[in-house]
Amino acid sequence: MISFILNDRLVRTEERPGMVLLEFIRNVSCLSGTKDACREGECGACTVLLGSPEPDGSVSYAACASCLLPLGEADGRHVVTVEGLSVEPLTLVQRLIVEHGASQCGFCTPGIVLSLTGFALSSPSLSYEDAVTALDGNICRCTGYVSIRSAAGALCEAISGAGKPPAGRLDFMIKAGVAPEYFRGIPARLGELEASPDLPDGKAVPVAGGTDLFAREPERLLESGLRFLSRRRDLAGIREDRGFLRAGGAVTIEAFRNSAAVLRHFPALAQDLLLHSSAILRNKATLAGNIANASPVGDAAIILLALGARLTISGEAGEREIPLEKFYLGYKRTDLACGELISAISIPLPPSGARYHFEKVSNRVTLDIAAANSALFLTTGPGGTVSGLRVSAGGVAPVPMLVPGLDVFLGRSPGDALAEDLAAAAMAAAKPIDDVRGSAEYKKLLLGRLILAHFRALYPGEAA
Amino acid sequence: MSNGDALMHARGASRFVDDIPVPGCLHAALFTSPVAKGRIRSLDVSKAASAPGVAAVYVHKDVPGLNQIGHVFKDQPLFAEDAVEYIGQPIALVVADTVRNARKALKLIEAGIEELPPVLNPREAAAKGHLHGKKRVQGHGDPDAAFARCARVFEGRLASGPQEHFYFETQRALAVPGEHDTIKVYASAQSPGAFHRHLAEVLGIPMHKVELDIRRLGGGFGGKESTAVWIAAPALAAFLLKKPVKLVLGRNEDIATTGKRHAYEYDYRLGLDADGRILAYDITLYQHAGACADISTAVLGRSFLHVCGSYRVPNLRVTGLSCRTNIPPNNAFRGFGVPQGTFAIEAALTRAAHELGVEPETLKRRNLLQEGDTLPYGVKLSGVNATRCWEVLDSRTDIAGRRAAVAAYNKSHKDTRKGLAAVPVCFGISFAQTALNQAGALVNIYVDGSVAVSTGAVEMGQGVNAKIRIVAARTLGVPLERVRVETTNTSRVPNASPTSASTGADLNGMAAKYACERLRARLLDFAAGCLKTGAAALDIKDGEVLSAGKPAGLGWEKLVKDAQWARVDLSEHAFYATPDLHYDLEKERGRPFAYYAYGASLTEVTLDCVRGTYVMDSVDVVQDVGESLSPEIDRGQAEGAVVQGMGWAVMEQLRYGPDGRVLTGVNAYKVPDIRFVPRHFSVELLKDSSNPFAVCNSKAVGEPPFVHGLGAYLAVADALRAARPDREPPPLPITPEKAFMHLHGPETGGKRR
Repeated sequence: MISFILNDRLVRTEERPGMVLLEFIRNVSCLSGTKDACREGECGACTVLLGSPEPDGSVSYAACASCLLPLGEADGRHVVTVEGLSVEPLTLVQRLIVEHGASQCGFCTPGIVLSLTGFALSSPSLSYEDAVTALDGNICRCTGYVSIRSAAGALCEAISGAGKPPAGRLDFMIKAGVAPEYFRGIPARLGELEASPDLPDGKAVPVAGGTDLFAREPERLLESGLRFLSRRRDLAGIREDRGFLRAGGAVTIEAFRNSAAVLRHFPALAQDLLLHSSAILRNKATLAGNIANASPVGDAAIILLALGARLTISGEAGEREIPLEKFYLGYKRTDLACGELISAISIPLPPSGARYHFEKVSNRVTLDIAAANSALFLTTGPGGTVSGLRVSAGGVAPVPMLVPGLDVFLGRSPGDALAEDLAAAAMAAAKPIDDVRGSAEYKKLLLGRLILAHFRALYPGEAA
Repeated sequence: MSNGDALMHARGASRFVDDIPVPGCLHAALFTSPVAKGRIRSLDVSKAASAPGVAAVYVHKDVPGLNQIGHVFKDQPLFAEDAVEYIGQPIALVVADTVRNARKALKLIEAGIEELPPVLNPREAAAKGHLHGKKRVQGHGDPDAAFARCARVFEGRLASGPQEHFYFETQRALAVPGEHDTIKVYASAQSPGAFHRHLAEVLGIPMHKVELDIRRLGGGFGGKESTAVWIAAPALAAFLLKKPVKLVLGRNEDIATTGKRHAYEYDYRLGLDADGRILAYDITLYQHAGACADISTAVLGRSFLHVCGSYRVPNLRVTGLSCRTNIPPNNAFRGFGVPQGTFAIEAALTRAAHELGVEPETLKRRNLLQEGDTLPYGVKLSGVNATRCWEVLDSRTDIAGRRAAVAAYNKSHKDTRKGLAAVPVCFGISFAQTALNQAGALVNIYVDGSVAVSTGAVEMGQGVNAKIRIVAARTLGVPLERVRVETTNTSRVPNASPTSASTGADLNGMAAKYACERLRARLLDFAAGCLKTGAAALDIKDGEVLSAGKPAGLGWEKLVKDAQWARVDLSEHAFYATPDLHYDLEKERGRPFAYYAYGASLTEVTLDCVRGTYVMDSVDVVQDVGESLSPEIDRGQAEGAVVQGMGWAVMEQLRYGPDGRVLTGVNAYKVPDIRFVPRHFSVELLKDSSNPFAVCNSKAVGEPPFVHGLGAYLAVADALRAARPDREPPPLPITPEKAFMHLHGPETGGKRR
């Protein structure tokens, strides 16, 4: 039995936990405002808000693609569809969309309404830039986005000055007409929901964010038993621990990107991880999932390889720890045994003066898979010579690649000559293939340029 | 006045086909060809037919009427019979209780298909004589003699790529059987009249037993204009099973099996005199049409009539070939061949400018169409706004100043380069097929004073219903809230032309206006009798009868109620046919268009020469929409069209495998997102433009601004030229991969001939 609040209504259902929420909303609950347009999280038409109880008794809302969100994830939570906002004639977001002419055919509009509402309820900054970021997974084929941007801008003006989310935000948003009045009672109502017993099931498929799994094989997952890692407190949280930054196996890309601890040591990651996917996917997709997915071009894996991340893998036999580069055994093959999962990712804290940079080129900047990507991590010793160097490269090998044999560069001075030699070494190690992301020749040449780009970004003005 | 549905859209309350609740509805799924060309040796559907939940499996033999849905030529079976001509061609239809069961059963169908070598290249098809229709050739002046007089002649090859519509609502229809072997079909479709006919033909029943109803489309862009597969197939099943049946394509299914914007290849020669004036242009268009003609010859015809873009070309030879290849039949897409036709002369003229060492803008400005110019097919132009649009653009942007700034930037930067492109637009409005330029409207005034308007126009987000509502309210003299625009329904308005060619509001708005004018005249006659005055002195405004400009104490509600009681007919059907259109295909001469929509734009980009990526910095557009019925709608149409055009030009890339399979599903076929759109984006609607040839002096706006998207291609190409003047820019679309290889690729190909 799965129990949750769908808009203003308590739902108890015996449907399978692996049914995607979109299907439940449209076909079981007969709410047709949430649109089905791609089933891969690529378009945003099915965006809903997922409200999760926080330890302080408030509820935090995140916009998610309901086509990739299993019903089981809704258990104990608040799910908001466009119908759940349409209590009064129009919410503020809806009104601004109408006033700015930001809806033409209307098929994408409910998703845009939900993403902007999620932004208002949860964005720490409420800046226009972040409003646009909140819409980076909502495709509109009609408007050309100009009117959508102006609606987003008007929203930011109207809600500036709201308190910190989630606890300090809700009251303001209800008064501003962003959220309906009934939202006020949701935390208490969620608190009254009985927690479903977590039945141990050895064969159950562990689901972290599910954004890859449910795009790939929704039919198999519908029939499978599932374990939802987002519910495990032991897999949550990011902390500094004995020289490492430790992120739990269920930490989402978005939580990681916004974590104060992460930003203290790796401020660039806030922007770099925007390239990972769209807001509605980053809110569910996890770092560990992106690693376990074993895509040769996974952005998180490429970044973490360069940063020297180590994985804690736990299974029935206990815990073990391995460096990320030992995790990949071949194309889509990993060291993960049956029953094991990645319970934590540990990144060594960078020594002062360490430099890190990430590069990615894809056909579209946001929400696209790279033709090639690369990250570089470099430390320097006395005299400014290289004392440590790790370079990763994606899209150029069957696995996310850590460029081998870089010890020869230790002791050299960072600069043009080093960049050129390193680019040559990376290209020599690269063995890309032709595919929809680009020709092998392109990817190899591109990798060389990305290596040069690392140095131009890290040493601006020094390189030619 | 925004799109009339926006409020419901924002509430998620607008109903699309898949949102209509139908108890007991069955779900259909198509089994399609896995090979690009082959002979069907065997087909066994028995296992699928007995799979769980399956109600029926249908193949070509089950079609009660004609197994034929060819739109222009009768060359497209609904279900393949003994041959398959493209991957994705329908072979069988499975109908089951759930979508899941229908799709599962597809896997149980066994088709023994003998594979044959496909033709996947349009030039190869042309060489083999695999054409749809005849090769078209049009001459104007004496191009051969003119080339001999040219100071410079530029010759080369070009190519433009395909484009996936990516309408958000995929192809779908719901069919509900009625009594007396009738059927009602709710479809996401742009061509009520043509699909109505296809449905009756497939089902083998007269058209009066088929009712096609269209509320709205979640985007169409031309992709729902001509191919009847996804409407006829569920209708067939519903008709045979006597149960409601729905077919909804999955996104990747839609991308893989439906038609696209046609890719083109071109051979061109462009001759200029010593002053840079175009003297002669010879262009051959190889249209990559796909396996069936669908609507390709019509698209080619429109390219054919727009090869000169916005320029004066005194001597022209244009040759057009619609090449039959083994990919899904391509179809209409916003612009309908105009962007492809215009691309070649824009690219050729830009290249000429670079080789001559002059700014492309200078050459373009010099060759712009002028009042009184004669187009190659014999139309003497009047009301030409090409120069006006250009000059308004220039006054807003200072084209020469921007060019100088770009040149200065490029002198001082090596890792990034800027590119600039000005694009003039001249777009003929009317269906090039004269017969289609007709529309009907039915206007009912009810006894409570509310008004319902039905036309043949299909609402797909372009705001045609809002415009028709404005026209009706304005003509009747009632407030907007009094008027409701009904669904598009073949029982109310028969034989309607497609809503396409940007003519939806022009044609249907005019028909609605005619009907409203007659109703208004009738009501005024009646009012004159009541008020004992002459009808000429009366008017209706804001729902009040005015006599000599003053309220006569007779409101709309009372007027209508009394008129009905006095047995005045409050329902009117009217018809509009665009006057003075004709075209002689033999002579390639005539007046195919009622008028032309003009525009001009300036696009600037920054190219990252290290990574081969580029950013759209700014777009300034001036668009001639006549006296706009709704500036907000027209601006929205222009913005959306430009961005879609930019997507076609520098982002969207459809890749086919060597076997003719579409490789780019939704996770690889990328369309513009919110971050792609330039920060500076301005659209100005040309002031003081009037147009006597369309409803309320307005001009069409749906397609013409799409052509501005070429500016994105030309601007990136401009930046690429600045970085590598030794190489010719890659074909359209430029993608980061192509830009990168242009900058850093080995010295093979792409070199200047």
